[in-house]
Amino acid sequence: MGVIVKKVELGWLDRTYVWPVMKGMAITFGHFIRNLFTTTAKRYTIQYPDMKKEIPAGYRGLHELKRFEDGAIKCVACYMCQEACPARCISIEAEEFSDLNITQGFEEKRPAKFSIDMLRCIYCGMCEEACPKDAIWLRNDYEVAAYDRLSMKYGKWDLMNTYAEADGKDRITEDTTPTVPRRTIVM
Amino acid sequence: MFITFALITLLGAVGMLLQKNVIVAGLCLVAAFFGVAGLFVLLANPVAAALQVIVYTGAIMVLVLFVIMMLNSHEEEKAQAAHPIQRWVSVALIAALAIGAVKLVLASPGLKALAISGAAVPQAMTLQKVGFTLFADHLLGFEVAGLLLLAAMVGAVALTKRNL
Amino acid sequence: MDMLASLLHMTPAIFWMVVKVVIVFSAIMLLASVWTWVERRGSAMIQDRIGPNRAAIFGKIRIIGLAQLLADGIKFFFKEDLVPEEANKGLFWLAPFLAFVPALIGFAVIPFGKSFVSGGVTYYLSVLDPGNGMGLLYPLAIGGMAVYGVLLAAWSSNNKWSILGGMRAAAAMVSYEIGMSLAVVTIFMTTGGYDPAEVIRAQGHLPWAWNIVHQPLGFIVFFTCMFAETNRLPFDFAEGESEIVAGFNTEYGSMKFSLLALAEYSHLMTASALVATLYFGGWQVPFVQNPTVMLSVASFLLKMLFFAWVFVWIRWTLPRFRYDQLMHLGWKVMLPLSMANLVFHAWRMSQGH
Repeated sequence: MGVIVKKVELGWLDRTYVWPVMKGMAITFGHFIRNLFTTTAKRYTIQYPDMKKEIPAGYRGLHELKRFEDGAIKCVACYMCQEACPARCISIEAEEFSDLNITQGFEEKRPAKFSIDMLRCIYCGMCEEACPKDAIWLRNDYEVAAYDRLSMKYGKWDLMNTYAEADGKDRITEDTTPTVPRRTIVM
Repeated sequence: MFITFALITLLGAVGMLLQKNVIVAGLCLVAAFFGVAGLFVLLANPVAAALQVIVYTGAIMVLVLFVIMMLNSHEEEKAQAAHPIQRWVSVALIAALAIGAVKLVLASPGLKALAISGAAVPQAMTLQKVGFTLFADHLLGFEVAGLLLLAAMVGAVALTKRNL
Repeated sequence: MDMLASLLHMTPAIFWMVVKVVIVFSAIMLLASVWTWVERRGSAMIQDRIGPNRAAIFGKIRIIGLAQLLADGIKFFFKEDLVPEEANKGLFWLAPFLAFVPALIGFAVIPFGKSFVSGGVTYYLSVLDPGNGMGLLYPLAIGGMAVYGVLLAAWSSNNKWSILGGMRAAAAMVSYEIGMSLAVVTIFMTTGGYDPAEVIRAQGHLPWAWNIVHQPLGFIVFFTCMFAETNRLPFDFAEGESEIVAGFNTEYGSMKFSLLALAEYSHLMTASALVATLYFGGWQVPFVQNPTVMLSVASFLLKMLFFAWVFVWIRWTLPRFRYDQLMHLGWKVMLPLSMANLVFHAWRMSQGH
């Protein structure tokens, strides 16, 4: 498909260069005057620490490991996210546990350790796509920063509590024993 | 004041000759030009001083430095060892020239008049007077010089531009 | 005013001179540093941004970003003063001063207010009294000197980008100086004098008698050449940050850089003062026959600051020229235009106007 480029023939007025410059100056001066009478709060610039951008739904920010109503982790340590991750920043160690209320013996799986290196993560959302249990979400927090590398390595409990305050949930620091057998919950 | 400006001029000139670095040598020449401009001011001729600065330091030296930068030779060229005879001959020639110049100045009628009547306060030169001198008293010379320069310019363009 | 005048009578003339020098040069330096703020805020407004507004004194007093000046000054003072290994040390140190001094002293002959008589002595409001014989040749000569700072800064840094910037600056300066000088010569001719005081007196207090009305072509040429002379943006070839990193000041940091930046803005102030003097009647107040001294100073300041603002305004309106376009404009447009201007006014004068 060809694009026809229209060739602009300059009139004599434009050729003098003085008139177009004056037109340009009028435009810039219009902007200047308009901004002179707008308060800084109403201009396009979002003054970051004071004002924050409204994050659209579906934004891929800091991760959260989702939990059930009773506080148990949704993740089943299937390693799908670890495999899907193009930056190789997720590392998982699985463990077995049992729903002691219902059955005996080890028959359920959950991560003993789940860590994401936020310095390597590229926030592509592939882990979210890969997760069969909807256990990992990328949400709207984009202020991920720390003073040293080690604190950018988020562990299991960090990841489970990333949005605890925002959602008004309790912070949890240990695995709760599930009250209902996992397989009975409809996803 | 005279001593100051004369010293600036002389030191600038000597510095230019002795300096190995071309750019620094050029700067020394600029200093010498400034000294000369100062001397012009002392001679009640501020117009000549201003023109000296505009033409020589403002245009010619800038062009010279521009060319030096374009060639961009950071290494100093080794000076060829001069033949001792050459050196002595040049020194003798310069001495003869200097003696001749001093003799001429001392023998000039202006200096004698100065010795008799004492230094009169010179009238300051203005741009108007320069204009009258150029375009009324020496019009022919001015036009001839202009023509000559034009011819030189055309010649230079013809020489450098192969296919006009 | 009377009290000030009586103070003057008690003191020798040299004191008056010192006062003038101190006031003029500190005012220019102050204005130059304030103009860095004007440039940043103004450009922000033109581009629908906000500009520097975070710096605050004691974390509270922001005064629309003016505290940024102070912050920048302090920062420049305490930065490490780096000199490149391969640089020519002496010239590297000398260059900022060579850039700064001509930019500042070019102002010396420009009258910034009406002269006043007090106790039988006339006091002129310009650093050099009129009738010094140099007149407006002096700013032209000093303006020609300003390029040495750029050239030396460029060459002594021993950096390819710097040298490119310096060479461009030198070439642009030389080619635009001719057109500019011819425009000024036209003013000398129509005025019949070359002293700034005479130029201002000849223009009178009526705006339609100012040189801008008689010589609009000369004004356009002169103003354009001033952009090239001060290395401001449409002709910003010495710096050209999108092409040659930062041009002649690539290697400069800390106080030396701030001196170069200050030199640019002082040069801008001197240039706008020149434009106001040559084409807009200097300290003349429109429609006021005999203004008071204070009024004339205010009028001059207003004109000067307006043109300084136009420099900023144009910088944020026009993109940078290409180098061959600059040369084309300088030699094939500006020079013939100023020549035509000169010949036209010579013809007009010969017709007895």
